[in-house]
Amino acid sequence: MRTKHLIIATILLFASTTVRSQDAKEISTKALNVTDIDAMEMTSTLTIMDAKGHERIRKTSTASKKFGETTKIITKFTAPADVKGTGLLVYDYENKNDDMWIYLPAIRKVRRIVSSEKGKSFMGSEFSNADMSKPNLDDYTYKTLGTEEYHGIMCWKIESVPMNDDLAYDNGFSKKIALIDKNSYFTYKITYYDLNNELHKEMTISGYDEVGSGMFLARNMVMINLQNGRKSILTIDQLQNGSSLTENSFTPAALEK
Amino acid sequence: MKYEHFIIKYRWWFIIVPVIITLLAAIPLTKTKVNPDLEKYLPEDTPAMLAKAKVDSLFGNSDPVILIFETDDVLNKETLTRLKNLSRAFHKAKEFDRVISLYDTKSIKGEYGAMVVDPVVKRIPKTEKQREQLREDIRQNELAYRLVISEDFSKTVIILKVANGITDEQVVQKIENTLHEFPGDETIYKSGTVYLRVQVNSDISRDMLILMPLGMLIMILFLLLSFREWKSVALPFLVVAMSIVISLGFFPLMGWELSIITILAPIMMIAIANNYGVHFIARYQELNAANPEWSMKEITKNVLYHLKKPVIITGLTTIAGILGLVVHILLPAKQLGIAASLGIAFALLLSISFIPAMMATMKKEKPLKLLTQEKAGIIEKGLARLARLSFTRPVMILFIFGSFLLLAGAGVVHLQVDSNSENFLPPKHPFRQATSIVNEDFGGTKYLTVLFEGDMKDPELLKRLNHYETELKKNPSVGSVMSIASVLKIMSRALNDEGDEFYDKIPDTREAVAQYIELYSMSGDPEDFDDLVNFDYTQALMIVQFRADNKNALDNVIDEIDRLTVDDPERSIIGGYCLVDKELSEAVVHGQYNSLLFAILIIALLLILIFRSFVSGLLGSLPLLFTIITLFGTMGWLGIKLDIGTAMLSSIAIGIGIDYTIHFFWRYKYELGSGKSYEEAITATLTTTGRGITINAFSVMLGFVILFVSSFLTIKYFAFLIIFSVLLCLLCALILIPALCLLIKPKFLESNFKK
Repeated sequence: MRTKHLIIATILLFASTTVRSQDAKEISTKALNVTDIDAMEMTSTLTIMDAKGHERIRKTSTASKKFGETTKIITKFTAPADVKGTGLLVYDYENKNDDMWIYLPAIRKVRRIVSSEKGKSFMGSEFSNADMSKPNLDDYTYKTLGTEEYHGIMCWKIESVPMNDDLAYDNGFSKKIALIDKNSYFTYKITYYDLNNELHKEMTISGYDEVGSGMFLARNMVMINLQNGRKSILTIDQLQNGSSLTENSFTPAALEK
Repeated sequence: MKYEHFIIKYRWWFIIVPVIITLLAAIPLTKTKVNPDLEKYLPEDTPAMLAKAKVDSLFGNSDPVILIFETDDVLNKETLTRLKNLSRAFHKAKEFDRVISLYDTKSIKGEYGAMVVDPVVKRIPKTEKQREQLREDIRQNELAYRLVISEDFSKTVIILKVANGITDEQVVQKIENTLHEFPGDETIYKSGTVYLRVQVNSDISRDMLILMPLGMLIMILFLLLSFREWKSVALPFLVVAMSIVISLGFFPLMGWELSIITILAPIMMIAIANNYGVHFIARYQELNAANPEWSMKEITKNVLYHLKKPVIITGLTTIAGILGLVVHILLPAKQLGIAASLGIAFALLLSISFIPAMMATMKKEKPLKLLTQEKAGIIEKGLARLARLSFTRPVMILFIFGSFLLLAGAGVVHLQVDSNSENFLPPKHPFRQATSIVNEDFGGTKYLTVLFEGDMKDPELLKRLNHYETELKKNPSVGSVMSIASVLKIMSRALNDEGDEFYDKIPDTREAVAQYIELYSMSGDPEDFDDLVNFDYTQALMIVQFRADNKNALDNVIDEIDRLTVDDPERSIIGGYCLVDKELSEAVVHGQYNSLLFAILIIALLLILIFRSFVSGLLGSLPLLFTIITLFGTMGWLGIKLDIGTAMLSSIAIGIGIDYTIHFFWRYKYELGSGKSYEEAITATLTTTGRGITINAFSVMLGFVILFVSSFLTIKYFAFLIIFSVLLCLLCALILIPALCLLIKPKFLESNFKK
């Protein structure tokens, strides 16, 4: 009898831990999917501020569309004047490093850019390139740290830890903790810990708008670097769900137009 | 004889109270702190300090630590793995703002129509072919080749920029721990001013702690040999020890830190403070020999009566001379002036109270045979001979001293100021080895930064920067020049194909510049530019890396930069630690000139007041001038450069020189007053007071011989020079001054000595 109890207890224990970790990954997957829009067009403003309050403002218009397994994103700078017309094309593959092309109007040239470092800054801001693209879910282990109230909303507190040292180094953090709405699966806040496991950056996300059936997009993202006092704000000024652009508009040649 | 009775009557008080004071002063000694970083003490408003402060506030600490790894081929798997681990660990460390290694330096190149931005080593090569490909890539990479990896691939560096507010100890601790955590077979050298300061700190402390007591031991032995009785050695020595405690104890009491300058305080005490005691003992032995029937108390009273005035006068003039340091530009020199004066004042008080009080309580010894019988010692015989010489050949003596002064003094024009604190260390020191590796293989250990203020995306300005770089690179001392313009040029090669109109040049339009930079911010790491240009592109640095182990080489690069950029309206300032270093040494030397001048004037004035004679001021300061000019001139001839340590030396020379002269004057005046002829008076003075002076001088010289084993070149020179100046002072007092007195027959020494 005793043995039987023990076996049952063990099974229950295993089951419960499996269920719980499954939960954490599931929550993260759902949170990603709720904002995973197949196609859209938008204009946005990126404000980069240093600790002394100096600002750099970049205005861009962007279109993105999924073709098969690959999401293709084309971005054009509209301001400031000296970089106006600069274009950026990204092919975001599911299972390999992104491809990236840039067009510089001043020298009328399209160049492919190869860079492997995901953890590096996005356009010189506090956001990293990893923050801007969809993470590979299998690169992390997930854990539920419980629940926390965020502005009156009950949230899951989910910790993601890169699977190994190399991944941690590539992404530039040792762990991140996200607050995810229990009902809507919106992510409101992510705190990043640096490779030394010290609090590094804090991203707050707000202004979720429904852009399609069950599809949402946040209009406002603020990233504060708590270690150096720098801050970057990404605001979506206009947003349109879906895009009429064809695959031809997402080629290096199209950048020059 | 009121004072003498008083001292003897209350002798126990005069013994116990100073001992208690000394013991109390010893308590704060445990809290003594050493700070080898003299830069902290420079006034903050000097040009070099202002420039460095400005550049540091804009672009962070410009004074990196450089770790050099040496092995057969640094591209081997083990070394690359170790470098990767170390580089990551340093990135994590809060002690460092920036880490530059093979894993952080960028490779920017055009490849199959793409611009590729990667770390120099992206992954560790697995096959021989991959390794040779990597080697070829590095050869083509002007951001890496000869900057982070040596030409023959046997050495590579990790460069660390220290974060603000991190102490030298924390930096060294972190580096040592990290290197220990990831061990390997590579030989490691460490360069950078942090290590220089730490080395100087630990080595100076070590040398001083070990060598000074040894030196004092030698002095004790010599004094014992000369005086032949223990108590005669113990008394002057106690005075030295007690005044050292007082002067050093003053530092923690005032919250001051010991530095490479203030460490001279105990040395000054050893050289100067035993002066007073030695004369007491010499006089006691002299009286004891002449009057064997006198009691110890009688002898003490007599010694005190004869010596209290000259001792007070020598003490006061020495203090006045050393207080000349108070007008020095550097705080530690001022502190040294105050602490050493305090120590000497204490020694002076001890000499006229503690020493006689001790003597009065001691048992009387038998008179020294040396002084009573015919078989005089070497010193005594020699002195008698010198006396004869000075009254038979005074003109010749004057001629010899004059010629020597002229000959040696002419060397002053060759005297150079050493502006490089690296030269404190001996040539074989690991730090110096690291320096020569960085100089040979990595572009040099010195950095100058030129700040430009304006629109840093303006192609015209960038083209000018590019021009300055090209010109500067032609200078053989210059190892590398880096600015935002260099990066743009590298990008122009990666973005455009050879033969293109935009290839290998600064773009012609502001738009193109802006777009290049924007492109880089998408592909590289924006931090890559943090060292070169500020956030809103209004200020930029041109970093010039070069080798210079002397002031001329440094001046040469500075002049070249200045010549090129002086008319540039956007150029703001030139900064760098080497400028601070240079300014510091110049400040020390010029400060010392002022202090010397001030000291000699004050001493001459004091002498004029004391002896009520103008001639006394001239005659008394003559040995000082002679010693100092000859000293500096000899340094010029021998190529010994004036640095922080050797410049301060002249203060000691003053302290000693004036003491010897006054003791001579006093005794000579007394002997003349007691009715002796000039010749008799000189013989009497030299064989009595002259004996004290000689014993004192030789004990000091022998004590400093021990410093020759120091690992610091500057300490060795210092020892040589201090021995040389004591010798000069001694020769002046025993030969020059007597000859001059015979020739001039100054009135102030003839006026009757009242008994």
